[in-house]
Amino acid sequence: MSAGRRDLLVCLLLAGAMALLPQLVGTRYVVTQSTLFFIWAVVVSQWNLVFGVAGIFSLAQMALFAVGAYATAMLGYYFAVPMVVAMPLAALVSVAVSLVVGLACLRLRGPYVALLTLAIAQVLYLVVVNDTDCFTNPPSGCMPFFGGVRGFSRFGDLGFRALLGSKWYVAHYYVGLGLLTLAMLFSIAIVRGPLGLAFQALRDNPGYARSRGVGQFKYQLWVFGLSAFFTGLAGAFYGVQFGVVGPIVFSLATLLFLLSMMVVGGLGTVWGPLLGAALLMLADEGMREVGDWRDIGLGVILVLFVVLLPRGLAGLRLRGVSKAKQS
Amino acid sequence: MAEPAAAPLLECREVTKRFGALAAVDGLSFRLLPGEILGIGGPNGAGKTTLFEVVSGLNPATSGSVLFEGADITRASPEAICHAGIARTFQLNAAFDSLTVRDNVRVAAYFGRDRRWWPGLRLGGATEAAADEALETVGLVGKDRSIAGALPVLDRKLLMLAGALATRPKLLLMDEPVGGLSPGEIDLMQAAVRRVAAAGVAVVLIEHVMRFLVQLSTRVLIMHHGESIYEGPPEGLVEDRTVVDVYLGEGASRRLAATLEEQARA
Repeated sequence: MSAGRRDLLVCLLLAGAMALLPQLVGTRYVVTQSTLFFIWAVVVSQWNLVFGVAGIFSLAQMALFAVGAYATAMLGYYFAVPMVVAMPLAALVSVAVSLVVGLACLRLRGPYVALLTLAIAQVLYLVVVNDTDCFTNPPSGCMPFFGGVRGFSRFGDLGFRALLGSKWYVAHYYVGLGLLTLAMLFSIAIVRGPLGLAFQALRDNPGYARSRGVGQFKYQLWVFGLSAFFTGLAGAFYGVQFGVVGPIVFSLATLLFLLSMMVVGGLGTVWGPLLGAALLMLADEGMREVGDWRDIGLGVILVLFVVLLPRGLAGLRLRGVSKAKQS
Repeated sequence: MAEPAAAPLLECREVTKRFGALAAVDGLSFRLLPGEILGIGGPNGAGKTTLFEVVSGLNPATSGSVLFEGADITRASPEAICHAGIARTFQLNAAFDSLTVRDNVRVAAYFGRDRRWWPGLRLGGATEAAADEALETVGLVGKDRSIAGALPVLDRKLLMLAGALATRPKLLLMDEPVGGLSPGEIDLMQAAVRRVAAAGVAVVLIEHVMRFLVQLSTRVLIMHHGESIYEGPPEGLVEDRTVVDVYLGEGASRRLAATLEEQARA
């Protein structure tokens, strides 16, 4: 069985198993936390395409997530666009922004890409927060064009709150699960297909890749464009899930939390980011009671992985396989 | 019946590559006919690798022009030159280190043969067949699943050759294909290059191992300070005073003369 088919099977089996969770564990807290896990897992699975598979140290992923969330909220708030339409539109806006970021990074290498993309994210944040002129004046008070520090709320939802009443969160769980399943299928198709080869070739040796016919310009834009769609969609769904989109989506803490997920799980692998997301969210959950020690605990986990398992959880499995092959 | 003069496959006209005040390649002109194996020698810093950088588009010429099958490729991108039919190997044994041997060759077979407007979802049978063929020509069958970064030197060089062949080139540029190899391994590489040339691919090779260079080449070009100081049959090398003085030295040229004599007798 080829690696691609195996991944496909694992993906569908996992999705099937996760579909049973709300039936088995009915607690609202578990279900909504799992929904949040789906959202973060979508982001890291796509970020991994740029950061791990293509080896481009872009830190713009949370900004693209924010663009998806803001575009959804603004389409709903200003134009009353139904969320089912606004969400994919917002994802396309994220793709467009990501292509611009990719173009800007074209001639940069390594840490300079990280610096530029972080700067772009900060500029977007400042544009949102520093704009205090009232664009509209609803009864709730002055509303800047990008929502200002307060952000947007009441821009619409997927309709499950009206349909299912207090059980709406279960429907959102399934939307999140569906989104993650699609994002994983998308990521498997890319990593195991010709595009994955092109991205990895450019990561390993750009000059050699070019002289074997892999155009750097073209495929760098492909990876930026492709990885943004589900990231934007996840941002859109985040907005719908919480009913509020504010500047907090740009927070550096979240960016570092997600970056740690990729590192802990294994950069550049298909399943690593997902494993990392699961592990870190469980760890975060486990340390909920210990206050400030929570951040320190997460830091310790990250350090342990970087030192002892630099290739992450997925690297552990790879090492097992290669040992088995040698013997 | 008189054969018409064959059109050159590759032609360099007054090619110059400057790095600041230094002309690494200085007004070099030569032609390569289909089916030829041209050996390029010369002291370190003579501009041999820079010439390859210029022809393969990674570091375009400052002035002059490079023509491939009559088309000007002086300013073409490396990927466009690859698609036109020129493949190159590297002195520093380049590879996609984290990929398997097979994936290394697949990249070349899928992206190197033609320009692709849209990336597909599958590699397809033609790519796999081209990869198989290339791995077989260089003798790397059975090592498909090894990780390229862990290969020994000879295998890395063969893998680079396989990658070049998988792009279906008309012209192969080889930069020191046997540098650092043992005599037995050199023979192996020599056989591989002969197989490639026999399949109708023109070859330009840069090499310091003179035995390898003279035994394979149909014609030799010696460079010094970016210029050509000798162009002609390999047999003429040892009789050329300039070549002996600036490159070979007396001892090496005597050994080379012996090799050439041996080759002529065989």
